[in-house]
Amino acid sequence: MISVTEAFALGLGSGPICVASCGPVLLPWLGAEPRDLRGTGRLLAIFLAGRLAGYQGFAVVAWAAGLTIPLDLRSRTLVFGLANFGLAALLAISACFTRRRCAQPPDKPHTRLYQIGAANRFRPPAALTLGFLTGLNLCPPFVAAGIRAAAAHSLPGALAFFALFFAGTCVWFLPSLTVSSLRRFSAVPAVARMTMGALAIYYAYLGVVSAASWRLAPSRAGNLVIFITRTVSHA
Amino acid sequence: MPDQVHSSAPAPPRSVGRSLLLSLPMALFTLLLFTPVLRQPGQPAKLAALVTWVFMLALFFLMMRTRQTYRWRRIFFITLGFLFPVGFIWDLVALRSSMSIPIERMLSGDTPFCFMVIPMTLIPAALKKTIIFPGSILPTPSNPHSIAMMVALWLLATVILGKAWCSYGCFFGGLDEGFSSIPKKARVRKINPKWRLAPWAILVAIVLLSAATFEPVYCSWLCPFKAVTEFPQVRSTQTALQFGIFITLFLGLVVVLPFLTKRRTQCAFFCPFGAFQSIFSRTSIFDVRIDKEKCGAGCLLCQNNCPTLAIDQEAIRAGKLPSSCMRCGACIDVCRKDAAVWHIKGTPVGVKPERARLLYLYAAWTFASMFGGSIIAHSLERLIGLVM
Repeated sequence: MISVTEAFALGLGSGPICVASCGPVLLPWLGAEPRDLRGTGRLLAIFLAGRLAGYQGFAVVAWAAGLTIPLDLRSRTLVFGLANFGLAALLAISACFTRRRCAQPPDKPHTRLYQIGAANRFRPPAALTLGFLTGLNLCPPFVAAGIRAAAAHSLPGALAFFALFFAGTCVWFLPSLTVSSLRRFSAVPAVARMTMGALAIYYAYLGVVSAASWRLAPSRAGNLVIFITRTVSHA
Repeated sequence: MPDQVHSSAPAPPRSVGRSLLLSLPMALFTLLLFTPVLRQPGQPAKLAALVTWVFMLALFFLMMRTRQTYRWRRIFFITLGFLFPVGFIWDLVALRSSMSIPIERMLSGDTPFCFMVIPMTLIPAALKKTIIFPGSILPTPSNPHSIAMMVALWLLATVILGKAWCSYGCFFGGLDEGFSSIPKKARVRKINPKWRLAPWAILVAIVLLSAATFEPVYCSWLCPFKAVTEFPQVRSTQTALQFGIFITLFLGLVVVLPFLTKRRTQCAFFCPFGAFQSIFSRTSIFDVRIDKEKCGAGCLLCQNNCPTLAIDQEAIRAGKLPSSCMRCGACIDVCRKDAAVWHIKGTPVGVKPERARLLYLYAAWTFASMFGGSIIAHSLERLIGLVM
């Protein structure tokens, strides 16, 4: 049986770690898309929906495989390596192709201006995908939630546990809506795009490290981890 | 200064007597500051303190006499920038016969705390009440450069001087200012002003990544000055990569680009601490203004001579410099019309600017003597000890 309060409290208690983990991806993305509070809220909701999809995907795997796949070192390295490469690619693309606003007269910063000529039609589906890829992060609270979800007797139970855990962490994401107040600074989108470029390099590096570890890691190396985790959780 | 242009009608020098009188408070303060060192038994320490005292005082006197700020400050700043690594490396070699620090020593809290870490510690400290730096809060025999001491010094300087920290307090900035002073003319003149935003991007990236990874990312990966201070011992591919990045950034941003552009490129286009310090430029009561009436058509001398590209035409039109201005005084010294002036917030612009300059210099030079002066004296002591 899952406990509603336990799942929510676990999410609420580990929310700061989740925010810190997702912050490098989420905050520059929100800054690069300067919108009002409602628009920023919509972007945040899409991002969180993607993150929930990532969580639920893990819940399915955790329940169906009984901890084997999520904690197998080789599989884990592969998943996170791919996620890091995905994040790097999406951040780099977003840094280059994020919608740029028309220049506005400094005395009338909120004038509606329309672009004449060919508009940049390419818009990367970043918010949802970025949310999904960050949802695949194996941070300590996520492992704790995964272990509890795996102990659930049914798939809906595991999904519900992760959904409640996710709801608890979401509370900590609400302050990121304040990014919308930065839109009055004209330099913010350019800074955010540069930040995404720098972070793309970082995530690409993490991807390379994961790929190297994946090649080197023995396929059964995770068995010891699984054994210890199972013993501890049963005890 | 990128283009040395002298004022067509420079302000007449102050009389020697008046300059001495204005230097007297600084002389007494710095004497008080160096008295404990002068009483020490070692001959090199005494001599180093005496030389530093005379050096700091002579520069202040020349600032008073010539009414010029930038070139005298620059001498101090370059001296500080080049002497700091000398004393620092000397101590490291004496302590552990190497510039590299093994991971065991880092974990035991022996890493000296540098002000660059401050912005990276804020979010983890707020979220988890953890200081993500392998140093010690209070000074220890093996690590006298403690976290508490550096934060206290930084706070003191920031409240009074704001962004002027980058011109009077930073012991790294003197290196790229030194290399930018070598050529007579800039070989690269056109620089896209968008690069001025890069320090903000690096600041945001390192603050967010430090919160995510719980390690000071800038120190681990991006600090160019690790090449001339202390770096993690190369034991793996990762530490070798880090060391390679430090060397490349140092050569590129601190040596080659300042030489080519005659600008402080590391400070203007890379340093995240400079961007962080810009946030606090409002805390200081001192700033630099441009009197729009006196400026007239606009010769752009101030813009062309700003070492960090802080001045653009928009700032000149507004009569107010952006928060990235380091208060080095270059624009004021080159202005032929006395349109660029020192200013105390809340007072009318251009009214008794020399009085504002004096008040600013007393504050800035007091800090410079206290912080930079002690670093210079420390390094000089090591060098004199080598000779004597």
